[in-house]
Amino acid sequence: MFETFYPQLIGLCTGALLLTSALMVWRHSLLASIRLLALQGVALAALVAVIGIAEGESELVLVSLLILSVKGIGLPWVLAHQSKASIKQIQESPRLNPTAALLAVTLLTILSYVVVSRVFGLGDTTTGHAAPIGLAMVLIGFLLLISRRRARSQLIGFLLLDNGIATIAFLTSGGVPILLEFAVSLDVLLVVLILHVFAGRMRTKFGGTAVDQLRELHD
Amino acid sequence: MAAVSAIIIALVQVVLFVFLAPLLIGVIRQVRATIEGRAGAGIWQPWRDVRKLLVKNPVRAADSSWMLRVGPVALMVSSLLLCVLLPLVGTIPFPSIPSDLFVIVSVMLIGVVALALVGLDGGTAFGGMGSSRHMTVAALVEPTLLLSVYALSIPAGTSTISAIVETRLFSPEVIISPVSVLALVALSIAIMAETGRLPVDNPGTHLELTMLHEAMTLEASGRDLVWLEVGSWLKLAALLGLVSNLIAPWGVVTDFSALGLLIGVVSIAVKVLVLGVLLSVGEIFLAKVRLFQVPELLAGSFALAFLAVTASYLVA
Amino acid sequence: MTGIGAGLLLQLGLGALAVVSALAGAPSLRSRAGGILCTLIAVTGFLTGLAALLGATGGLLIPIALPMDPLLLAPDRLGGLFMLIVSGVGILVSLYAMSSTRGPDASRTAWAAMPVFLVGMQLVPAATDSVSFLLAWEIMTLGSTVLLLADHASRATVASAGIWYSAMSQLSFFFILAGFAVLAAASNGTSFTNLQAIEPGSGPANVAFVLFLLGFGGKAELVPLHVWVPRVLPEAPSHVSAAMSGAMVKIGVYGGLLVCVRLLPDGPAWWAIAIMLVGGASALYGILQASVSSDLKVLLAYSTTENMGLVFLGLGASMLLRGYDATAAADAALVAALLLAVSHAAFKSTLFLGAGAIIHATGERNLDRLGGLGARMPVTASAFGIASLGAAAIPITSGFVAEWMLLQSLIHGGRLDGAVVSVAASVAMPLAVAVIALTAGLALLTFVKAYGIAFLARPRSVEAADAREVPPLMQLALALGALSVLALGLLPGPIAALVANTISSNPTVAVQSVGLGGVSLPGIGAVLDPIILVALSALVAIPVIVSIIVSARRHPHRTIDLPWGGGGSRARPRMQYTATSYAEPLVRVFDDVLKPSRDVQVTHVAESRYLVEHVRVEQRVSDVIETRLYRPVLNLFQRYGIVVRHVANGSIHRYLSYSFVALLIVLIVVSL
Repeated sequence: MFETFYPQLIGLCTGALLLTSALMVWRHSLLASIRLLALQGVALAALVAVIGIAEGESELVLVSLLILSVKGIGLPWVLAHQSKASIKQIQESPRLNPTAALLAVTLLTILSYVVVSRVFGLGDTTTGHAAPIGLAMVLIGFLLLISRRRARSQLIGFLLLDNGIATIAFLTSGGVPILLEFAVSLDVLLVVLILHVFAGRMRTKFGGTAVDQLRELHD
Repeated sequence: MAAVSAIIIALVQVVLFVFLAPLLIGVIRQVRATIEGRAGAGIWQPWRDVRKLLVKNPVRAADSSWMLRVGPVALMVSSLLLCVLLPLVGTIPFPSIPSDLFVIVSVMLIGVVALALVGLDGGTAFGGMGSSRHMTVAALVEPTLLLSVYALSIPAGTSTISAIVETRLFSPEVIISPVSVLALVALSIAIMAETGRLPVDNPGTHLELTMLHEAMTLEASGRDLVWLEVGSWLKLAALLGLVSNLIAPWGVVTDFSALGLLIGVVSIAVKVLVLGVLLSVGEIFLAKVRLFQVPELLAGSFALAFLAVTASYLVA
Repeated sequence: MTGIGAGLLLQLGLGALAVVSALAGAPSLRSRAGGILCTLIAVTGFLTGLAALLGATGGLLIPIALPMDPLLLAPDRLGGLFMLIVSGVGILVSLYAMSSTRGPDASRTAWAAMPVFLVGMQLVPAATDSVSFLLAWEIMTLGSTVLLLADHASRATVASAGIWYSAMSQLSFFFILAGFAVLAAASNGTSFTNLQAIEPGSGPANVAFVLFLLGFGGKAELVPLHVWVPRVLPEAPSHVSAAMSGAMVKIGVYGGLLVCVRLLPDGPAWWAIAIMLVGGASALYGILQASVSSDLKVLLAYSTTENMGLVFLGLGASMLLRGYDATAAADAALVAALLLAVSHAAFKSTLFLGAGAIIHATGERNLDRLGGLGARMPVTASAFGIASLGAAAIPITSGFVAEWMLLQSLIHGGRLDGAVVSVAASVAMPLAVAVIALTAGLALLTFVKAYGIAFLARPRSVEAADAREVPPLMQLALALGALSVLALGLLPGPIAALVANTISSNPTVAVQSVGLGGVSLPGIGAVLDPIILVALSALVAIPVIVSIIVSARRHPHRTIDLPWGGGGSRARPRMQYTATSYAEPLVRVFDDVLKPSRDVQVTHVAESRYLVEHVRVEQRVSDVIETRLYRPVLNLFQRYGIVVRHVANGSIHRYLSYSFVALLIVLIVVSL
């Protein structure tokens, strides 16, 4: 029973990952982006769990729980930690016109598909076929990092990038060792916390975290 | 035999949807009114409107041409053809014109063009404005429409919509696949834009600056207006029927029988009405977006449709 | 001598006769005699082409003294198809020109150039060696240039258009010449049979392919070589624009097919991808410019770029799919590209002739000053309307069938027996579908705008209000054009089957005719029968019409009243939407691509700045490719020209000293 649905489930999880990434580019509001990030964390955890069950590795199921707690719950909670009323009003005014950004997302997805199939070969396994989605997430993360003005929105791009790397790792090699994943997750959490504190400080001090404006601090 | 049953099913579909479409609009309006705390006009009001308009004396603008007479009929015929060709009650295709994706989209475009020309024919600023916006939206919707059905067609191996519905009926795991989910979301956005629902157009408005559909029908009246209105309702009903059959293909007739036909009729009616209620409830929470944010919405739906097609090559 | 040889000879003879009669004939008879002779040339070409398309062989051998293969004019099936297209347009154009030309357009030179142009176009597809191909090509270019320049004395824009046209056609010719030269050098012969011996992936073949793409792409108005189109087609007399856009551009397509299907078939994948990229870019760019244009003839000119882009997209897709052995889809894509070319010839020449009729009646080609012509010019309006439906690919016209077939082949081409054929195909096919879909959507808007603004509602100028229907012969040409659009759309099956014969040795696998006029693609499993679609529409229309009749019994006549004026009593014609305002949302949406320049001047009343006296809005959409790509290059040349003017100042002493220095250098080099 599980065997027959295995490709469908992998497809559903990777589809959710790709969809949330595309939606993050689409939506401007920070709150929506954070919610999407949480959803993406859940999808990533589900993906790891599915792979774990299929390959019969209980370790991976543990990792999936870890991912769920850190990426699905922890990070979004930290990011959204402010009073919801203030965060709701944060609307991103991106550098890139949103229509162009969305078209760029589709082109990046194609690019990652071509690159993966040309450089590594798609392989015969379901997971191998889904691997380009991880690369697409990395590229979309970069796109977000480049096109967003606010430090906090850029942070979301960074986290998307991290999720992408994790996806590639799980899909191609059945996962990084649990210790490494644990360490990386903690690192990311730490980075986010530090950046978050910084952003908060900067906001109270200079009234905004738009990176363009911060350039003036340099002088 | 297949041809005869196809004709019977087409006939049933047309008759059913001609009765169902005004009812659907009535239900949508009534649900909205109830939720907003108004009494509402009841679900039969569209029918009463149709009867009223048919007996009224039509008025036309001084310099309008034959387009005002022919355009509404063309829209109506295009919507009726949609009801004939789409797999709504049954999936038995017509010989030599199956419910092919491009044929259906083009048949729908006949109605789009007719409506836009009627809008221009009155010779007023409003008609032109509505027509221009309507065509802009239609032009930008088309890529999403074609690509989303392209994505749906890949598991079935054909672009015939009845075959796509049958594939989904016989192997339901296709329905929850990511390709299908992405494509359906994109298709739904495209259909909302195409039929002038929120958030692209506000069907309840008469405010000049916000309307698309209403602006074009401004100069039509009496029996001309009936066809414009009923044609648009039919289009909405038929497309909702298509979406509902793609989401939940159960009940659709694949082998012809009297009982099957009855089940098909009841199930499609229920599905369309349920979808209409959901649409109405959903619209409560939506505001019309600015006209120049519509392309963004459509680009988003295009991206989803495109990802669906690409993903279908990735996952399969 | 075979029938085809006789037909070709007859064309040449009639052409010579027409030139003589134009040069020597009395001015009062010139248009009539020229028109009749040109029609005869085109009819002869039509019959010859039909015979060749149906498989007749034979031709005209012209021996020459030069050390080359003899000149042989012997059209094969593909050549026959293109002769048919070109001469079909020729018939319409000649009939139309007989009564439309006046003033400089009916001059001795213009009527002498017309048969030259027609014969040149009909001979290009008949050529079977590169020398006669190039000769016929030059005859065609010469004829069209002279025709274009007929009106140069009265309008400065015509002269400028002439310069652009000559420069771009010579550039095309140079590329094609170079392409043939490379192939001929590699194969030791000039006849096409010799050239076929070259391996498609080899070095010379690759070089020749690029040269041919540039040369034929320029003629077929592909981006970025299309810059002559928006200048030349609008400025030429309308029947000449119709012939150029309907027929001459197809010769560019024929050139593309000749290279990719006949001379160097089964080229490497990058050829196909290059053609698809150029085609897709042309389609999108062309229709985008067309949709925002308010000048009727500029709109039609850009739409030609769009259609040729789609044709090349189909050709590229077919080459790509053939490389992966998806033969059925590849054949269908190629047939679709050919059908698109045929249908474009029908609807675009009708549209240009319709535009000519509008200019004839109003002297105006700016859509913003037209309107209400439907009631004043019913025949023109119907013909233009039907052709517009064709251009917008609405059923039951020819354009629809072609686009349907192209989309079918693309959707089914990416997979063979359920498996992905290749990465390139799985990326290219969805992108191509998206491009075609957006193009089709924008084309719809473009032609609703063109028809709706020009023919519906109220006249926006005095000229439009005073318009009268054009003379009967012009009406006849328009009606014939519109009928051909409908016939191609209603009977696609037999036509597609004929067309499939030209490109496939086993055509019934790709395309079959079913039912009355329906077409089926057996390899893909798709069928379409437009006649049944019409019958179905008629059936469902019956109850609608019956209820109209019942309702009309009570109120047989519509009350005529003022249109709603937003609360005011009277909505003036000036308040209507114009073509510019119709495309305004689109200009905004594609702001980043079109880069429009917008200038708004508000003049306030002297007493208060809250009151506006008048507002002046000016918006101009220029061709981005011209301003960004050609201008810098042209400026560079201009600077170079100034330098050269110093070097070559006309002094005989200086030229002699240059020769002397050159001689010295040669001697020194030889002695080394």
